[in-house]
Amino acid sequence: MTASTVSAQTAPAVHPIVEIRGIEKQFVAKRSFLGRPLASVKAVDDVSLALMPGEILAIVGESGCGKSTVGRLLMRLIEPTAGQVWIDGEDVTKLGHAAMRRRRHKVQLIFQDPYASLNPRMTIGQTIAEPLMLHKVVPANQRRQRVAELLEMVGLRPEQANRYPHEFSGGQRQRVVIARALASEPRAIICDEAVSALDVSIQAQILNLLKDLQKRLGLALVFISHDLGVVKHIADRVAVMYLGKLVEIGTADMIFGAPRHPYTRALLAAIPVAAPTKRETSAATLQGDLPSPLAPPQGCRLHTRCPHARPACKEVDMRLDVEPNGHANACAFWRELPEPGPVTRTDASRNPKLERLFAAFETTPLAAAGRN
Amino acid sequence: MSTPTPLQTLSAHPEERADLAANPVLEVNDLRVVFAGEDRTVTAVDGVSFVVRKGRTLAIVGESGSGKSVTSLAVMRLLPEDSARISGAVNFAGRELLGEPHGTIRDLRGNRLAMIFQEPMTSLNPSYTIGDQISEAILRHRKVSKQAAAERTIEMLRLVRIPSPETRYHQYPHNLSGGMRQRVMIAMALACDPELLIADEPTTALDVTIQAQVLELMGELQEKTGTAIILITHDLGVVAEACDDVIVMYAGQVVEQCSVEQLFAFPEHPYTAGLLGSLPRLDGKRERLTAISGTVPDMANPPNGCRFRARCPFSIDKCAKMPDLLEVSPGHFSRCWRTPLENLVP
Repeated sequence: MTASTVSAQTAPAVHPIVEIRGIEKQFVAKRSFLGRPLASVKAVDDVSLALMPGEILAIVGESGCGKSTVGRLLMRLIEPTAGQVWIDGEDVTKLGHAAMRRRRHKVQLIFQDPYASLNPRMTIGQTIAEPLMLHKVVPANQRRQRVAELLEMVGLRPEQANRYPHEFSGGQRQRVVIARALASEPRAIICDEAVSALDVSIQAQILNLLKDLQKRLGLALVFISHDLGVVKHIADRVAVMYLGKLVEIGTADMIFGAPRHPYTRALLAAIPVAAPTKRETSAATLQGDLPSPLAPPQGCRLHTRCPHARPACKEVDMRLDVEPNGHANACAFWRELPEPGPVTRTDASRNPKLERLFAAFETTPLAAAGRN
Repeated sequence: MSTPTPLQTLSAHPEERADLAANPVLEVNDLRVVFAGEDRTVTAVDGVSFVVRKGRTLAIVGESGSGKSVTSLAVMRLLPEDSARISGAVNFAGRELLGEPHGTIRDLRGNRLAMIFQEPMTSLNPSYTIGDQISEAILRHRKVSKQAAAERTIEMLRLVRIPSPETRYHQYPHNLSGGMRQRVMIAMALACDPELLIADEPTTALDVTIQAQVLELMGELQEKTGTAIILITHDLGVVAEACDDVIVMYAGQVVEQCSVEQLFAFPEHPYTAGLLGSLPRLDGKRERLTAISGTVPDMANPPNGCRFRARCPFSIDKCAKMPDLLEVSPGHFSRCWRTPLENLVP
């Protein structure tokens, strides 16, 4: 088993909050007239990940790579086809419903669309109080007080507890969802594309909030996203997935500074950079479209799109090759690949005045107005 | 009616001016779109003016509710006329589009004016093959035989790099991946050699590696055909990669207008600066993002004065009065009393 090879070296003494070992998940894609499964998709194929206390682990990849399925498997919201799920040092793979529910408060989940995850008929106060009731976090007479604290923690006003979700903007709703997730005093929160539906200025507010909470409460976060800019900003470690397989994992510095796998390189090269430098057609670009997950390519799953593909790629096993520093990737020939160009084009020569202009937004408008 | 004077031509250097004025494909002047409801009236677009020139790409950037999509729909005359009151001037190749009868507009749309939307699956008819849908557009606007239209369709599919176009011609939208569907939309939009292509968030629904392919393709096709493009996006990265000129919209108004180089070198409106600062960057250090506090104003009751005032770190008493869109440096316009912003930071 290749389990937790990467994390084990970073913190041998502490056990991970959530861990999946050699996990596999198949979904039935097609059934016969009588309901017998005819075809299935391996959404996740032999993935092992561990989330250590207080760390932010990002899972990135394109649509259909299995990153959301991994997120759900991490808290056993869906049953794995094979492999194990561990929560807080305990194997929960085979636990029954009631026993599983008692452990649910340790790991919470936040989804992309905050409107769909809030009950429109409940005030946000009621919404946030529900996990307090369910997990008996505080005695009944202290619930109101606790809801007020949680609202303040996520930057909302306690008197807003009596309002309904439709009275809030998208960013505020996402704050409510975060407050609800925090209510059960979890040790880890899984954020599935939690900021993707928000406008950039609001997205930055929520990212800052998540980072503050993580520092203040010692939370661990799993941050599932397709946006590498966001991931670079927030993550300590990054796992890259492609067609159900883990292709690379390492610290954010390793992934962004010295990406090994051709897929990671291509992902980085494809991101539009908000700087006035025109894209030179990069050699790292992927050709063609994502193959059907119903019939993933043999051997290395990237070989149909990889710019460095060779005949042997059709037969190789996508096993993670772990370097001494913990950086692991699944390219069988990564040592023979050409040096990647400047992976992330820098605009280091950015005007320092510009940085100070941005910094002006750190202060509150009122304070700034007073100064001027 | 009198020809509106586009803002950009005023500012250009004398030697450039003749050049710029020579090729305007679209001139929009003081466009205003008001949605009148029973209990509230929303001014979605409030006095927007811009020019698009041949072979150039203009980006319209803004967040949700800034009026960027409504602007493009008004230009295409795609807004419901019983609820949207449109005023101003939209001059396309010498015609005033806002006054034209529907028949004339239908002759232009899909022919000399084309548009692609964010979600290709909802723009394609699921019950016709993609080949039929593209040929239909050609047959509607050109006097050619069905055979010739089919040949042109296959040529267009090949142009947008759809593999084995002869086979794909007979396939339905559900047989294609998201990136391929968007390429089919581009093929359809360009089938009649339009002078202007409006692309509303064309890559937002696509994965980054596919987005890179589609943007590269649009750039190449523009070089070949000289089509003017309006690219509507919320992604400043896409603006930097694919556009020449840019207008930034906030709460229905243009707050900044300049070239892409000028925008990224030094923005002259605080909102643009806030947007740039709130982008997570791939290079550099990982410090806090400079979020803009607060949210966009309610467009049914926009605040008096500058609409960004409540969220702006530089606001002063004067901002209670609405600033005009004024030229800060050659070709660089900003709707802000405090320009140049350079003087505000130490």
